[in-house]
Amino acid sequence: MRNFFLIRFAALIMAGGLSFLAAQKPVPAPPAQTAPARRGRGPALPTGPTPRLPDGTPDLSGVWMGGGSNSGDITKGLKPGEEVVMLPSAEKLMKGRKSQDDPQANCLPFGVPRGAPYPWRIVQTPTHTAATHIFILYEGNIHSFRQIFMNAKHPEDPDPTWYGHSIGHWEKDTLVVDTVGFNDKFWFDYLGHPHTEQLHTIERYTRTDLGNMTIEVTIIDPGAYAKPFTTAGKARLQPGEEILEYICQENNIDLQHVNAPAQLP
Amino acid sequence: MLAHHSFAAEYDSSKKVELKGVVTKFEWMNPHAHFYLDVTDKDGKVANWNLELASPNMLVRNGWRRTSLKEGDQVVVVASPAKDATNTASVETVTLPDGRKLTFMAAPDAK
Repeated sequence: MRNFFLIRFAALIMAGGLSFLAAQKPVPAPPAQTAPARRGRGPALPTGPTPRLPDGTPDLSGVWMGGGSNSGDITKGLKPGEEVVMLPSAEKLMKGRKSQDDPQANCLPFGVPRGAPYPWRIVQTPTHTAATHIFILYEGNIHSFRQIFMNAKHPEDPDPTWYGHSIGHWEKDTLVVDTVGFNDKFWFDYLGHPHTEQLHTIERYTRTDLGNMTIEVTIIDPGAYAKPFTTAGKARLQPGEEILEYICQENNIDLQHVNAPAQLP
Repeated sequence: MLAHHSFAAEYDSSKKVELKGVVTKFEWMNPHAHFYLDVTDKDGKVANWNLELASPNMLVRNGWRRTSLKEGDQVVVVASPAKDATNTASVETVTLPDGRKLTFMAAPDAK
């Protein structure tokens, strides 16, 4: 599909095209090695070990591209051995969905775990020791943010929201993010895979080296799926990149020309 | 498109139109940049086309600038038309009078 080509093209240009921006690294790390030359402009993606805070916690901060699931069709990006089994009510809901009603096309948030082909930034605070708060700043779609409260508890009865209520903890070198309190409005993908307010996600972020992060997301929603399933995605560091402004609501004039079933990009 | 809406739901990628005309407006806005083109047919009738590009954040990363197209520019556009048969299309290439080519998302030779 043309869209997928463009996404890959964008990722290639950005991954290959920009110089390395040092992550927060109070402890001197070995100098970044340079990977073999890549297509695209500018220097290559740096390689090196996983950056760490002074207390040894992995440092996830930086600008990233990629995500935890296949945003076209969530069933195509599963961990080996996993399967998606929809309940009849969810199948019926999905079959009736129209492309022009995709919340993302209407400049509403994509929720969890759907991603966009735009960079996003992880910010941790404080920076001298393990974070109490981790923020994900999204360029698009939409220009918004998630908050992850470290070593915290979920509220008893959270109001349903687009990104839910997220708490995090470390399991060795993996950040585990547990989220509940979602609304049922966002779609998992362009095809319109649905969920209910019972949705509970467990995301596992592992920065495997300087430039790469694996992201696995377990989807638990007994209101829409017969059993939990886990996706497997990855993100790449975007050295030297900054997130840019993207205000989707500014001039969203395309949907008047769309009248079609929910479908791949 | 580009994770905003489904390209395939709006445009017919199996069809291509070639449009020669004059740029009447360039909207450097989200979620997609658009420019408008007056195209005169052989009978002298003028139609104004609405032509879609990627979003400014992605365009600027790939060489486009908000000045890459200007009102009055005479260009040739190859694009995929909208399925609703309005004068709306998603750009594949824009060729400027000096031969430089810009695409839906990339403008490696933009000035």
